[in-house]
Amino acid sequence: MPDTSHNPVPSGHPFCRRGRSTEGLIKAFFGGNAALTIVILVLIILFLLREGVGFFPEYRTELQNFRKSGLEFVDIARKDLTAHEQMGSLLNRAYFAQVNSNCREEMQRLEEATAIVNYLGEATAPAHDALVQVTDAESNSPPTPELLQKLSAQYRKRLADALSGRLGKGFPPTPHLSRTEQQLLCDQIAARDPLSTDDPAFANELQASLAAKRELSAAPLIAFRDAIDAFQSSSSALDVLVSETSDTVKATKEAAVLHGIQVRKRQTLLDAARTAKPDLRSQLEADIAAAVTTEPVDFTAAMAPVLARIPQFKEANAAMSAGLTEVSEKLPLSLSDEKADRYLKAFRAATPAMAAETADTVGLLEGWRADVPVGIGMTISGFISGRDWITGGEWQDIYGILPLFIGSLMISIIALAIAIPFGVGAAIYTNQLAGPRQQRFVKPTIEFLQAIPSVVLGFVGIAVLGTLLQEVSTLDSLSWIPGFPIQQRLNMFTAGCLLGLMAIPTIFTLSEDAINNVPAAFAEASDALGASKLQTIFRVIVPAAISGILAAVLLGLGRVIGETMVVLLVAGNRIQIPDFTDGIGTVFQPAHTLTGIIAQELGEVPFGSVHYRALFVVGILLFVIVLAINWTAQRLLRRFRISQH
Amino acid sequence: MVSDSVQPAIPAIEIENLRFSYGTKEVIHGVSLSIPANQITAFIGPSGCGKSTLLRCLNRINDRIPGAAITGGSIRIGGIDISRPDLDLQVLRRRVGMVFQKWNPFPKSIYDNIAYGLRIHGETNRKALDEKVEHSLRVVALWDDVKDRLKTSAFGLSGGQQQRLCIARTIAAKPDIILLDEPCSALDPLSTLKVEELLLELRNDYTIVIVTHNLAQASRCSDQTALFYLGELIEYGNTSQMFQAPREKRTEDYITGAFG
Ligand SMILES: Nc1ncnc2c1ncn2[C@@H]1O[C@H](COP(=O)(O)OP(=O)(O)OP(=O)(O)O)[C@@H](O)[C@H]1O
Ligand SMILES: [Mg+2]
Repeated sequence: MPDTSHNPVPSGHPFCRRGRSTEGLIKAFFGGNAALTIVILVLIILFLLREGVGFFPEYRTELQNFRKSGLEFVDIARKDLTAHEQMGSLLNRAYFAQVNSNCREEMQRLEEATAIVNYLGEATAPAHDALVQVTDAESNSPPTPELLQKLSAQYRKRLADALSGRLGKGFPPTPHLSRTEQQLLCDQIAARDPLSTDDPAFANELQASLAAKRELSAAPLIAFRDAIDAFQSSSSALDVLVSETSDTVKATKEAAVLHGIQVRKRQTLLDAARTAKPDLRSQLEADIAAAVTTEPVDFTAAMAPVLARIPQFKEANAAMSAGLTEVSEKLPLSLSDEKADRYLKAFRAATPAMAAETADTVGLLEGWRADVPVGIGMTISGFISGRDWITGGEWQDIYGILPLFIGSLMISIIALAIAIPFGVGAAIYTNQLAGPRQQRFVKPTIEFLQAIPSVVLGFVGIAVLGTLLQEVSTLDSLSWIPGFPIQQRLNMFTAGCLLGLMAIPTIFTLSEDAINNVPAAFAEASDALGASKLQTIFRVIVPAAISGILAAVLLGLGRVIGETMVVLLVAGNRIQIPDFTDGIGTVFQPAHTLTGIIAQELGEVPFGSVHYRALFVVGILLFVIVLAINWTAQRLLRRFRISQH
Repeated sequence: MVSDSVQPAIPAIEIENLRFSYGTKEVIHGVSLSIPANQITAFIGPSGCGKSTLLRCLNRINDRIPGAAITGGSIRIGGIDISRPDLDLQVLRRRVGMVFQKWNPFPKSIYDNIAYGLRIHGETNRKALDEKVEHSLRVVALWDDVKDRLKTSAFGLSGGQQQRLCIARTIAAKPDIILLDEPCSALDPLSTLKVEELLLELRNDYTIVIVTHNLAQASRCSDQTALFYLGELIEYGNTSQMFQAPREKRTEDYITGAFG
């Protein structure tokens, strides 16, 4: 019969538990640590939410003012203007690409000649500067002939050294100049007076031949040029209108803001006066009386002159529509240069959208009402799908995260496109194909990548990768790659490459784990059926590990999206939705990111301002994204473990 | 017990003076054995005597273990020494299939498990695959149980069914020889019986080598029996003869349970 009564074990009995109190202490210690961590996490979330939630109502008030003072009205018209400008720049790019396509040889020759001139100029700079200084100084006595001679000798020596390629990086390469031409150029520079900075005759000659060639290839394009010019000037009326009305509405807004500040100040003073000591009160009351010096703004009256110009807007708008139609008719059907043609096609593709946008403007202007309230839903949707993130301007701060989100997304995609093949490939190689010695070498080496601080990677990105990519991209033989030559040294691709590098260890380690956890019995069964090594790997092992590998990729993605330092340093930080007309080449455009914007702007914004709160909302969004990714990854991993029994 | 085992014994596998080591540890010390075609040969012996090792030499699956190697002698299958280093292992393993002690279907559907062996050998024709899958499943008497859930995971089957699925997977690849390493050691008596019946049926088309700890099983369904002890062959011969009138004293001790 078991003893069911819960009598304590008599003390002194060998079964009596000892050391109970220390056990409890240890438990409390670790339990306390865990609890503290959770409490801190909750506090962080609460803090984020508290700072962020206030954003939407405040932003809404700002938008309301934006509307009342008429800024919104002007922006409607300005939108057309911006679109028109972009269209014009497309045409210009097409034109210059076409013109330059025939002059590539001349441009390269001139560039190389300039490079030589610059190289020699830099090499002789110290002596040259000294000479200029001694001869130029009016106050001092004229230099002694010995000094002059000494400096000239120094100049000649440096020049000779440079000509033989002994200084610095050596002589710049000149594949498009013949030896004699190069020699001629050097001789001309050598013969030049040390004090002169005139371009050598040969360089001028090249310049002239380039100009002539340009003129020559521009000649058949005269009609095209005229059409472009006509198109660009068709917006001048609107341009004037917008700039004039924007001055008016800006003044209205500023007056309203000033008045608002004064009213708030008086309110603060009033609150203070209520509790103040009597001797201070009189002073405070005087302040209160003087606090508000401006009249409240009469928005309707202020807006009246702007609204009165709607007929003029109509005219300007019609002129612009006409300009678009006209230019569309006059454009050449196609251009022989591939790049120029691409720009032309992009213009054509954008024409209907532009026409539609111009067409509805008058309706929008006429239908615009200052007194329609801005809803909170509109505020939120404007934040999420807004195409602009404009801050710190005197016009109106606009917070739309779409460009940042797209930047983050594209950089992550590039990073994953690089990290997945390398990470998963290395995992497969290490686990399945490498011998034990290679394994011992490869694994720690890849995992070591993780130890590189991201700011150091950022250096590498700026100093090495960006420059290298840009240099490589100017090679003639690579010009078929879309986006080459790269315009911006810092762009999404460089950032994506570095982030990919950072994600490789995560993806590698976790996929290797996943592959390693696939029971050997599967591989053995496959071998016993006569499968080759690769068949076993790709048809049995990888499919069996696939959810683990996916989880690894997701965790890598989480790492990439949350990474800040590298993107801030390397992504180029242009807040703009990339121009997707470049196709794959889009990846060579700069972009800004969700993380980068917080790091860049949080230090500069006034505490508690709308801008400050907007950054917190971005932070919350990031938090949610990363949380969702990690949660999915955890689920996948769990499923993976279950499927392995 | 199989009584009509007096067919002409064409040797399918000829092992001659085979030595095998894991690294520096030799575990098979010169075994010679000739395994007849279209018969069932059982390997018995106490644990650790090298039965599995010898069996795993026959399709060179031991090559997976680093350091494991045949250090002497030869194994001839179809007239060629399969211990040669330049042998095409994939072809050898197609001809010599293997079923493992612990059933190990792939984490795929029932259908894909069987189709796998066919696909890796280049069969892509959908109809041919269907036919062969069905045939293999019928041979192992699993077809009726699973024909409605071919696309579901193989892990949804019972242990005995999974083991039969593994046998079906092996025979789908059309080997000449099937090696089985204690295929029934983790099965209940009823499933064991089914597998044994299956083996007796397969005997007509395949040469079968089975490792077993179950002496009753060896006597029930094998034609030839080989008894090993500490890496050496003690006795080899006709099963009925060996169980009724063992030549060696140690054999008698082992089958009467005096050691092992
Ligand atoms: N991978 C291995 N590495 C080293 N030694 C091994 C390895 N596998 C087996 N051995 C050794 O080889 C010898 C034979 O093992 P084997 O597995 O062939 O025995 P067995 O007869 O199949 O035993 P059981 O009936 O228990 O399965 C044993 O001494 C064992 O310790
Ligand atoms: Mg064994």
